[in-house]
Amino acid sequence: MTILGLKNGEAFIVRRVTISREIGKRLADMGFVRGAKGRIVRSAMLGDPIQVKICEYDVSIRRSEADGIEVEMVEEKK
Amino acid sequence: MNRVITIALAGNPNTGKTTIFNSMTGSHQKVGNYAGVTVEKREGRRKYKGYDFHIHDLPGVYSLTAYSMDEVVARDFIINEKPDVVIDVLDSTNIERNLYLCLQFQELNVPIVAALNLNDEAVSRGIQIDEKRLSEILRMPVIKTIGKNGAGVEALLDKAVEVFERKEKPDYEVSYGHELEGDIQVVIASLEKDGAFCARYPVRWCAVKLIEKDARAEELLESHAFADGVKAALKERVRRIEEHFGRDASTVVSEQRYGYIHGATAEAVTRRPVDKQTVTEKIDRVLMDRVLGFPLFLLILWLVFQTTFTLGAYPMGWIEMFFGGLSSVATAFIPEGILRSLVVDGVIAGVGGVSSFIPLIVLLFMFISILEDSGYMSRAAFIMDKFLHIFGLHGQSFLPMIVGVGCSVPAVMAARTLKNARDRIITVMVTPFMSCGAKLPVYVLLAGAFFPRYAGTVVLSMYVVGTLLALFSSLLFRKTVLRGESTPFVMELPPYRLPTVKGILWHVREKTFGYLKKAGLVLLPASMLIWAVTSFPKPALDVPKDVQMAQSYAGKIGKEMAPVLAPIGFDWKIGIAAITGFAAKEMVVSTMGVLYRVEAGPDRKSDSLREALRRDPAFSPLVAYVLMLFMLIVVPCFASLSVIYAEIGWRWLLFAVTYWTALAWLLCFIVFQTGRLLGF
Repeated sequence: MTILGLKNGEAFIVRRVTISREIGKRLADMGFVRGAKGRIVRSAMLGDPIQVKICEYDVSIRRSEADGIEVEMVEEKK
Repeated sequence: MNRVITIALAGNPNTGKTTIFNSMTGSHQKVGNYAGVTVEKREGRRKYKGYDFHIHDLPGVYSLTAYSMDEVVARDFIINEKPDVVIDVLDSTNIERNLYLCLQFQELNVPIVAALNLNDEAVSRGIQIDEKRLSEILRMPVIKTIGKNGAGVEALLDKAVEVFERKEKPDYEVSYGHELEGDIQVVIASLEKDGAFCARYPVRWCAVKLIEKDARAEELLESHAFADGVKAALKERVRRIEEHFGRDASTVVSEQRYGYIHGATAEAVTRRPVDKQTVTEKIDRVLMDRVLGFPLFLLILWLVFQTTFTLGAYPMGWIEMFFGGLSSVATAFIPEGILRSLVVDGVIAGVGGVSSFIPLIVLLFMFISILEDSGYMSRAAFIMDKFLHIFGLHGQSFLPMIVGVGCSVPAVMAARTLKNARDRIITVMVTPFMSCGAKLPVYVLLAGAFFPRYAGTVVLSMYVVGTLLALFSSLLFRKTVLRGESTPFVMELPPYRLPTVKGILWHVREKTFGYLKKAGLVLLPASMLIWAVTSFPKPALDVPKDVQMAQSYAGKIGKEMAPVLAPIGFDWKIGIAAITGFAAKEMVVSTMGVLYRVEAGPDRKSDSLREALRRDPAFSPLVAYVLMLFMLIVVPCFASLSVIYAEIGWRWLLFAVTYWTALAWLLCFIVFQTGRLLGF
C-alpha cells in the first residue's frame, strides 16, 4: 500500500519510493527511505496536500507524490 | 596584514543559519546574485583575532542534487571556490536529515566545522546530543550553538581558525555499506585513470554522484580522458545495484547514506520520549484545521494587506507632500523654461516616484518576514496549494498575487520566496494582471463617466478578469514555454518560532536598499524619458498645454500608432495617455486632464473630466470598457518593470512585455469588434 491508503493519525514504515527522477530523489533526500518511520498528521481542505511526520519533522507532500511512497502500516502505541 | 580565511556557511533551510550569519558578520554584508541565476548571494566580513573572515552564506538546501538551482549553486561554490572551511549549521532537533547534507560536504573533501544549532529546542524535546562522541565518529569538530543569543558563535570562529591552521586534508569516511562500497570502488578506479580529472574534482564524490545519475556529474565526466570507459563501468555497476536492491540506484544511495547516519547517531544521540504535545502541534490544530484553516488564512492575509496599504498611505502622503513642496520651491527659484521643467517634472517627479514606494516595501517585507520566520508561510502554501496547482502555480504564489492587488512592485519582489525558478518566473509574469491600486483611479474615472449606474460592478469586473487572466496565463505558460516535470511540493513545515526584531529589521533593510539600488537605476532614467517625449520638441511660448502635448513626441507616437489603435477603438489621445501610463498608471488620468483641457481643482477635476469624456464622440461606453481592459492587461509601469527585470532577467522580461502587449491588443480587439457588431 502507499501513504494514500492510510488515515490521519496512522503510523507507517517506508518500504520504498517508487517514483523516480526528481521527485523520487527529493523524497529520498528528505528522509523517505526504506525503514524510515512516519505518521500521517492531516490533509488540507480538499484532501491534498498531506502533512506527514517523518524522521522527527513535518513535511507537506502532494497526493501524487504520496502515491509513490510504498509503506507498511504499523500499530503505534499512543 | 591579516590572513584571509574563506568560509562557506551552509545548512538546511530553517536551521537559524541566517541568524548565525548576521551575528558573525554584523553589518558588514553584501547581497547580490550569483552570475546568471536569481539565487541570492550574500557575503559578509569579520575581523577576528588577527584574521579576516570572508563569509559566504550559501543558499539553504537539503541536499546537493543537480535538480534545484540553489543546490547547484551551493555545490559549485564548494567545488570551484574551494573555501578554506565549511561551517555547516545543523538543526539539533532534526539531526539526521541535517547530517544528510553534511555528509555530502564531507564527500566534497572540504574541512568542515559543524554547528549544532537550536540546541535549546532539542533539549526541551528530550533530545540529548553528545557532541564529543559525534565529533569523533564523524571526524569533524562539532560545536553547540544557540543562534538567537549568539552563544557558541565565537567558538565556531575559533574552531575554523584551528582547522585552517592545521592545513591537513580531512580524512572523512562516509561509508555506504558493504554492498554498495564495491561498486563505488570500481567506478573510482575507472575515474582514477585520468589524473588531471582527479586533481580537479573530488573523485569519490564524483563516483557517488555518477551512481546517483546526477546530470551535472555526467557533464563533468565529458571532460574525462577516458569518459567512455568510465561510462561502461558505471552502466554495468548501476545495473548490478538496481538488480540487487530492486530499486533505482539513486534512491539506494540516499538509503545507504541515511543508514550510515543512523549508525552514527545511534551512539551519540539519546531521545527521551516527551509525552506532552508540542506548542507547534497545538497551534497547528487551529491554524491548519480543515475547516478553520482557510478562513483564518484569509483573515491573516487581509490584515497584512489592509495594514500595509492603509498604514503605508500616511508616509506615502508625507513623501508626496515633501516632493510637492520641493517642486514649489524649485518652481519659485528657477525661471520658467526647459530647465525648470526638467528639474520639476523630470528629476523631482522621478525621485519622488521612486521614494513613494518605500513605505509599502518596508511594511510589506516586515510582515513577510514575520510570516516566514514564524513558520506560517509554508503552512499558508500548504492550505493554498491544491487550488493554485490546478493552474500550474505553486502554493506559495498566493502571496505575490494578493499583494499585486495593492502594488506590483513589492508583489514582484515577494516572489523571491519561491524557491524554484520556473515557479518564480511564472508568478512574476502573471502578478501584474492582479490589478494594482494605481489602476483604480483610471477605472473609477471611466466607469463613473460611462457606467454611472453600474460603476462598482464594472470596476469589480476588472479585478475578476485580471485574476482569471493571471490563472489562465500561468496555465498557458506551464503548458508551453515553461513546461516540464511538476516541481516537487516536498516542503518542510518547520516548528513555529518567535521571529526576532533583529531578524525582521535585517530583512526589511536588505529589501529596501535592494529596491532603491535596482529600481532607482531604472526608474529615474525611465521617468526622464517620459518627461522628454512629452515636453519635446520645445513648444512656442504661448501654446496651451494640450496643443503642446499633441505636438510633442508622445503626441506624434500616439498619432503614428493610430492605425494600430483604431481596430480596438482608440484615437490618438488615448494613445498618448497610455504612453504616460508607463511612468505610473494613475498618470493616465492626469494626462487626460491635460488633453481635455480640464484644469479645475483636484476635487472637481474628475467630475468635469467625466463630462469632457462623455462629450467626446471618440468615446463610448464600449470604448471606455475596452480602455479599462487595455490598462489592466498592457505592460505595467516602469517601476514594476525594473523589479521584474531584477527577478527574471532580460530575456523573460522581453517575453513578458511581448505577451502582455499582444494579449492586451488581442483581447481588446475581440471585445471591441464583438461589441460593435452587437450594436454597443
